[in-house]
Amino acid sequence: MVWLVMSREVRQRVRSRGFKVTTAFLCIAVLGGGVLSRAVRGDDEPTRYDVAVIGAAPQGFADTVQAAAKTLDIKVRLTIGTDAATAERGVRDGKLDAAIDPAAGTLIADSAPSDQLAAVLATGWQSSASAAAAREAGLDDDEIAAILSPAGLSTTLIGTDDTDDDNLATAVGFATAVLLFISINAFGGMVLTGVVEEKSSGVVEVLLAHLRAHQLLAGKVFGIGTVAMIQFSATLAAGVVALRISGTSVPGSLWVGLPTTLLWFVVGFVLYSTLFALAGSFVSRQEDAQSAAAPISMVFTVAYLTVFILGANPHSTAARIVSVLPPFAPLLMPLRVSTGAASVVEIVLAAVLLLAATFGMLRLAGAVYGRTLLHRGSRLRWKQALRLKSSS
Amino acid sequence: MLDVREVGKRFGDVVALDGVSLTVGDGQIVGFLGPNGAGKSTTMRAVMGLIAIDSGHITWQGEPITAAVRRRFGYMPAERGMYPKMTVRDQLVYFARLAGLSPTDAFHAAVKWMKRVDVIGRADDEVQALSSGNQQRVQLAIALVHEPELLILDEPFSGLDPLAVENMKTILTEQLAAGTSVLFSSHQLDLVSDVSRDVVIVEAGRVVMQGDVRDLRERADFRYASIGFADETSWMPPGDAEVVERLPRGIRLKVGADSDPGALLADAGRAGRVVEFAFTPPDLSEVFLAAIGRSTTGVASSSDVPTEVVS
Repeated sequence: MVWLVMSREVRQRVRSRGFKVTTAFLCIAVLGGGVLSRAVRGDDEPTRYDVAVIGAAPQGFADTVQAAAKTLDIKVRLTIGTDAATAERGVRDGKLDAAIDPAAGTLIADSAPSDQLAAVLATGWQSSASAAAAREAGLDDDEIAAILSPAGLSTTLIGTDDTDDDNLATAVGFATAVLLFISINAFGGMVLTGVVEEKSSGVVEVLLAHLRAHQLLAGKVFGIGTVAMIQFSATLAAGVVALRISGTSVPGSLWVGLPTTLLWFVVGFVLYSTLFALAGSFVSRQEDAQSAAAPISMVFTVAYLTVFILGANPHSTAARIVSVLPPFAPLLMPLRVSTGAASVVEIVLAAVLLLAATFGMLRLAGAVYGRTLLHRGSRLRWKQALRLKSSS
Repeated sequence: MLDVREVGKRFGDVVALDGVSLTVGDGQIVGFLGPNGAGKSTTMRAVMGLIAIDSGHITWQGEPITAAVRRRFGYMPAERGMYPKMTVRDQLVYFARLAGLSPTDAFHAAVKWMKRVDVIGRADDEVQALSSGNQQRVQLAIALVHEPELLILDEPFSGLDPLAVENMKTILTEQLAAGTSVLFSSHQLDLVSDVSRDVVIVEAGRVVMQGDVRDLRERADFRYASIGFADETSWMPPGDAEVVERLPRGIRLKVGADSDPGALLADAGRAGRVVEFAFTPPDLSEVFLAAIGRSTTGVASSSDVPTEVVS
């Protein structure tokens, strides 16, 4: 029964254009973020140049060019022994970035070559010319090498790179909190309007001839939850891909934080959307849905704002305490896990409390839902609804 | 057999049902009549388990109606109930599945009933795109798609065009032949007597009359006599006969149920040549109005009684 209700929800929602569009939009936005951050940081992949050498290369030319290219972080591929005509054609066609004619001592290029390439080739040329001169002066190869390749400067970093990691983890933590908020709001809202739709269209009367109210509730929450999870996982996966694209080094806590966010999302969604479903069952008209759900939306929004107040200091005592409380945990805990601020005890405690609260909410909703769902006329208040349970 | 026994239900201070009792036998169709607010829908919703009753009990084949039993019922609520954005086909398949049919059976049943109620051409349209008449056909199909043992139809004829009414009547007749029990409510009294021989009339949460339509009509304490003459006449009926309508060459009378039609005809025959004579009990509309205590005066002809009775 629950399975039938669930699969109806999934089929109807996944098929809708709205779902496809928003999922595509979220994924593209997240991927776009990765691409953008990479573009801003610059390309890590070294630029590659193709250079032909007409005839034989001067002794030591190739080695020096490669060494120089390495220090400038570019790649130069030398093709030695090309004939003049082929080299010229290659340059003209754009297949080659430049050609060197050692016999004539010229650099052939279509337009002025990049500074890096010009510098690398010039270094190679000069150093091989110097080596040739030194050899002529009677120096042996070891002596020449000592003159031409003195030991370079080596770099020692004394700052720690942790700040970058922290910033990234916090940024990703906030981003997932925003995503959690958007998703729970959007799909919780879907549960709310879905319940009101069933009530206002009267279909609930026909449905309840076939199944029990709590089955209907569970099917709706888990069905829409499945749809939400599809979208949420797709967006998270896009986030992981975006992190890779951006080329940033990713701190380890994120690789734990991102996947476990999904778990917080699932339980948080069930908790909030059960409340939304209950609120929806209090009203008979779509116009009244939002006002019935207002108290829940308020709690949820407060929880969301708390992320921004406490998220900046995930290690603070306030953050520790609040992130354990069930209404806040689904939004705040993922951030604290991602930044590595949450201890295992806190995580377990938060999870246990959240699961207990969600289970209690499901029990309560299951007990009241049948009566609130069939209530007709004016909007029920929370107090009235809870009294319906005791009068059963 | 559906057995509704002494069922009582209050909504706050309002007594909705005040000991309603009725039965619907296997393969029997019962018309459920009564003015608005009399308790028809409440009774039906109680049978479908949509409201908890305060007193009395309801059984099907002698057993209390559990959720499992209820899945073998078909229900058409007064305020229709379908998913507006689901296609006709998906809707029928879904409800068939909920009633326990396998995916394949549900699919075939959906197609069968879409054909049967003549909406197969709209199979892949969303329900909200259909006219209200067609939506009602779909609603009936939903009630029937799992071949229920008992049909509870709340105002199945309201809002249907004559063609759809005929279609609905045919389907109900077929269902009866197949052994299905039907309880349906209606305001259209002429339809009720067309479709069912048995009626239950409720008023203010109480059953005021029930039985075979013909018996109920026969049981009325008056009859209508219509006499047509070959020529114009000024004949006056004898005794306490009340003239309902007078035409140049005819007369319509309301007389006691115990009066003798033969004597009446003989008396009329002495005034002129009689070419038409009818002696009939009141029709269901009047029985209904009499039962719920509404005045029948001012009703010119029994055939003119409004078919929609509003309180």
